[in-house]
Parts: sequence; structure tokens; C-alpha cells
Amino acid sequence: MLIPSISHGMGLIIILGANGWISNLVGLDNGIYGFWGIVIGSVMYSFPVAYLMIYDVLRYEDGTPYEAGEVMGLTTKDKFFSITLPYLRKPLISVLFATFTLVLTDYGVPLMVGGKFTTLPVMMYQDVIGMLDFGKGSVIGMILLIPAIIACIIDMANRDKGNAAFVASEYRIRKSKGRDMAARVICIVVVILVLLPIASFAVLGFINKYPIDMTISFKNALQAVGMGAMTYLRNSLIIAIVVSVFGTALALFNAYMTARNKTKLSYVLHLMSITSLAIPGLVLGLSYVMFFKSTPIYGTFAILFLVNSMHFFSSPYLMAYNTFGKINENLEDVGSAMGIGRWGMIKDVILPQSSGTILEMMSYFFVNCMMTISAVSFLATVSDKPLALMITQFEGQMQLECAAFVSLVILVVNIILKLVIHLAKKKAYNF
Amino acid sequence: MDKIEVNNLSKSFGHTKVLNEISFTVKDGEFLSILGPSGCGKTTILRILIGLEHADSGTILKDGIDITNYPAAKRRMGIVFQNYALFENMSVLKNVQYALLKSVSTKDSYTRESAAEKAKQMLDLVGLSEHLEKKPRQLSGGQQQRVAIARTLALNPDVILFDEPMSALDVDTRLSLRGELKELQKQFATTMIYITHDQEEAFAMSDRIMVMDAGRIRQLDTPMNIVDHPADDYIRQFVIQNINTKIHSLIPFAWDEEGKG
Repeated sequence: MLIPSISHGMGLIIILGANGWISNLVGLDNGIYGFWGIVIGSVMYSFPVAYLMIYDVLRYEDGTPYEAGEVMGLTTKDKFFSITLPYLRKPLISVLFATFTLVLTDYGVPLMVGGKFTTLPVMMYQDVIGMLDFGKGSVIGMILLIPAIIACIIDMANRDKGNAAFVASEYRIRKSKGRDMAARVICIVVVILVLLPIASFAVLGFINKYPIDMTISFKNALQAVGMGAMTYLRNSLIIAIVVSVFGTALALFNAYMTARNKTKLSYVLHLMSITSLAIPGLVLGLSYVMFFKSTPIYGTFAILFLVNSMHFFSSPYLMAYNTFGKINENLEDVGSAMGIGRWGMIKDVILPQSSGTILEMMSYFFVNCMMTISAVSFLATVSDKPLALMITQFEGQMQLECAAFVSLVILVVNIILKLVIHLAKKKAYNF
Repeated sequence: MDKIEVNNLSKSFGHTKVLNEISFTVKDGEFLSILGPSGCGKTTILRILIGLEHADSGTILKDGIDITNYPAAKRRMGIVFQNYALFENMSVLKNVQYALLKSVSTKDSYTRESAAEKAKQMLDLVGLSEHLEKKPRQLSGGQQQRVAIARTLALNPDVILFDEPMSALDVDTRLSLRGELKELQKQFATTMIYITHDQEEAFAMSDRIMVMDAGRIRQLDTPMNIVDHPADDYIRQFVIQNINTKIHSLIPFAWDEEGKG
């Protein structure tokens, strides 16, 4: 979740490509390119998103049905099928559609490991960037939009209305040596599998020429810097910081209007605010090209601020919407009666109470701006190009080592940001 | 003189008529309960009284002045909600201090120090001087409601409205808070209008009770008169049936007045 999808694909090539170290180890001559490469790469890319969603759901599961099941003498299998699975059904459908849309609209992994197996986003990317065929790109974009919108509608219809989660008592996991050990081993294997591509490109970034010359070297770093990596990093940071402030402010405003003002208009605004969930970045980027081509903001940082704010708008908006929805519904009434006013309540009570969520929203915008290669790829110019686009540039020049180094820089910046947010949240929760 | 005079108040939400030509008065220093089942319009009256909703027709007078179109802040009324509506990011002391420093009715009269001093006094009155630096979430439900009451009283409003303030509390806490609230009312001589669907609560605390049903007033009278002379079968069934056996213990002051207690 902290590196572009294309980096996941790259990591996979280093491991399972034609010259991948595992390919060489097991004698896999042609590598993993094609359908299965895309599947494996996409699983690794979408794993953290799916994991976090399921983790969040399980964390808030009520323990009392299990205690009741225990008293009734249900077996573990019975409990799994009659308590856990029904509880997980709706969230699992949500996770399924989230990963479906993520994979469907991604061009990073298929571009790297797809080989001759082309997906729609790759086709769209190649038509627009490679052949400047905007017409064909738009048609593909429209086709791509259909399943993404259908997935989004089904997901919205599937979601629970309101906050049904009520935890009477937390689920307590009993100790069981054998089972815990087995679970630990499975977790370790999964973590290794997910981290392996990342670790591989981290190493690759500092290798002279893989697999011919495996000596440690800063050549790739120097080459990337020589080609303007620092300038592009500065661009990325400018975009990420501005979008995390501007996008968060906008998402907070919308969420306040929809979560704390229940009118028909606020429902319409709510639907509009979650629309960007369904719009693939490439489609959004192309539509911005068409729409803003003759405006002054085209070719400037402003359009990158705007497109990223819109592209990543829905998730932070939903975070704020959920938080505002949980804050005491009578605060504004009390404020009105005291003559403190709505703005006073927002500034002094509602926003401070939401500080943890606000930090998470900013972090979401920042991290995604740092690693996005979709919408911006159609809109960035030489003077405002973000760092992540250097990866596709190096990939096109077959300079995997340099691309690996750039991915590593993005990863480090995002890890630092996450650490800062973590510390700030700790402070915020100690209010 | 009547503190509050409500004339022909009507309110509809869509096609549903929630209040139908309601008229009543509240005396200065009186404790009036509005009693009725869910959806009878009692909360709507309260929200219109304080200015959070506007009536379709009718007038509200306070101390003889028409306040029907006044904004909430200008009405000099306070409100206490069932869910406390405390400022979770502030300490108990800051909740009251902040209200004193920011409220239009008091902000010019206090400095930070004097507001803190006043806040301490008010919190002492509700028995929370030990908890000044705690956050609301560290307190029990009853304690949180005491903070809300102290915060409202500190602003010295002419009328305090209570919207089912004890519905979320356990029985013991309710009982003790009832007594404390009556004490505070005597001490501050504030007019209080108290919304509840709990007959016991209404009978135990009120000078008068206004029983409502489907947007109309069924009876407005003293607890004793409601028991002795219910206006109709609805009152007899809704109010008296449930508490008949406890009525003597619930309204002892009224029995004393009658010389029967």
C-alpha cells in the first residue's frame, strides 16, 4: 500500500521473471509472464487493502455469540459456519468488490508482468501515452468504467445501513499451542511472500546490473538523481502536501454537510462524494485531458492537485463521514442554544474530536499522491512530473535497477510519513 | 406573571401534523413536565421553544415579549439532552469554562480565570469537584449528565429545558439525580420544562404535568389533580394505571398540602 502497483510487478519479475532469482533457482526458463504473473502480482498488490479491511471487521466482532455457542456445545466448525461466516458475509463482499475494482483498473502489474496478455488499462495506457490515440483511449475508458460502476453499485447496496456493530464483549482467543504455532507459520509465510518482491527491488536498487554484475553499487541512485529524481521527488512532495491539505479540507467540508445535515440534498452530495470510488484513475486522467485542455490550469501543478484530490477523494471522505456520524448529534443544538454557533462548535469541538481521522485522511492523500501513476500519467509535464512516473519511464528503457531505486525512495518517504502520522495520532489521542 | 406563554402552536413535518394548536403557560420558577408516549410531539415543542425548530403557526412569549422569531441564542434558555452532548475533547472543568467564555450571554462577563472559578463552583454544586480534570468519557452516565446540568446552569438561563435527561441512566442514578435536580431548581429558582415518557419521574418532580397525545394536550394540571380528576379515559389508562399503587410515595408534598399525608 506504500508503493505503486508497478513496483509490485517489478519485484515479481526480479523473483519470477525470465532472469528471476527463484526462476533461475528452480529452472523456470520463461518466467511468470502472462495471466498467472498478473494474478500473482495483483494478489500481492491488493493483499494489504483486503487484509486491512478484514482485520478491521474482525477486530470489532462481538464475542458473546461465541460464548453462547460454547454453552450450547457447538463445535469449532459449527461456530465458524453459523457465527463467523454470516458475520463476515457482507464485509467479505465489500472486500471482494474493492479488490476487484483495484485489480480491474490497475495497469502497473499487467504492464510489468503481463507479457502478451494485455488488459484494458494497459491497452488504454499504451494507446494514449504511446500512440497519443485519445479517441481509442476514451472508448476503452468507457468500457472500463462499466464493470467498475457496477461493482461500486453492488457494493453500496450490500453495505450495512447505519452502525449495526455492537460489541457486548470482545472475542477472546484461547491459547492453543499447536494451532497458534500453525497459524504463526502461515502468517510468516504470507508475510514473506508479500515482502519478498519489495525486499527484492530494495536490493536490486543497489546492484550494478542484474543478473550479470551483482556487485553493490550506487550507480542506479546516481543515475536516477542525474536524470532529475530529486526534482521529481520535490514535485511529488509538493503535490502530496498540497493535496493532503486541500483534499482533506474538501473531504471534511463535504462529510460535515452530509453526515450532520440530513436532507435530500445532502444525500445527493454523499452519492457524488463516493463516486470517485468507481472511476479508474486512467479514465479520470483522460477525462481531465479532454475537459481541461484549453484551460489555464492544463499543464500546471494545479491540474495535478485537482485530479489527485478527486481521484482519492472517496476513501478519506468516508473516513470523515463515519467519524462525524458518530459524534454526538446534539452538539450543534447545544452550541446554538448557548450562542456559540455552528462554526464555533466545528472549530472547538468537532474538529479536535476528529483529529485522529483527519491525520489518517491526510496520510491517505499523501501516500496515494506519492505512488500514483494512473491519472497523473496523462496530465503531468516535464516541469511538474511526479517521481512515481520515473518508474514507468525507466521501465520503458528497461532500466529496472533505476526503477527499483525510485520505488525504494517512494517507499521510504511513505514509511517516514506513516511514522510521523503515527506519532501525531498518539499525541492527538492524548488530548 | 407567566414566564412562558405558548399560543396556538402548530407544526407539521411533511404531511404529518406533529403539533395541533397547542396553548399553555409556564409560571416563573415552575417545574413543568411534558409527559407522553414516543411521537406525541413533546420533543418538537421543546425544540420550538428553544428555537431549534420553527413553528408553522402560533406565538411564544417569554416574560411578555414575543420571542417566536428570535434565534436560539437570544432566547436565554438552556437545554440538557439525554445524550449529554458534552465536549469530549475537553476536561470536565473546560466544558463549563468554555461555555462561559464563548456563550453570547456570558462571554463579556468572564475572564479565563473568573470563568474557571465559576465553573469550579458550579461543578462543586453537582458534586463533581473531584473530577475537574477528567475527560467526559472517564465519567459514569450520571456524572456526565451532572456536567451537562452544571454547564447549563452556569450560563444562568431564564428557562432550562430537559429532553429526557435520565432515560439513559440506571434506576439508582435516576433516583438520586431527581432529588438533586429539584434542589438545584429551588436554589436557582429557575423555570424548568422537563420532557419525559416516564410517569414516575413526572409525578415525583413536577409542580404541574402536561400530558400529551398525538400532538394535542390531554390534560395540564398538578400531579394530584391528574390522579384525582383525570380529564378522560386516555389519562386514566396512560398515566394512572401504571403508577396508581405508588402514587402516595411519589408525591408526598402534594399529600401534605391536602392534609392527608
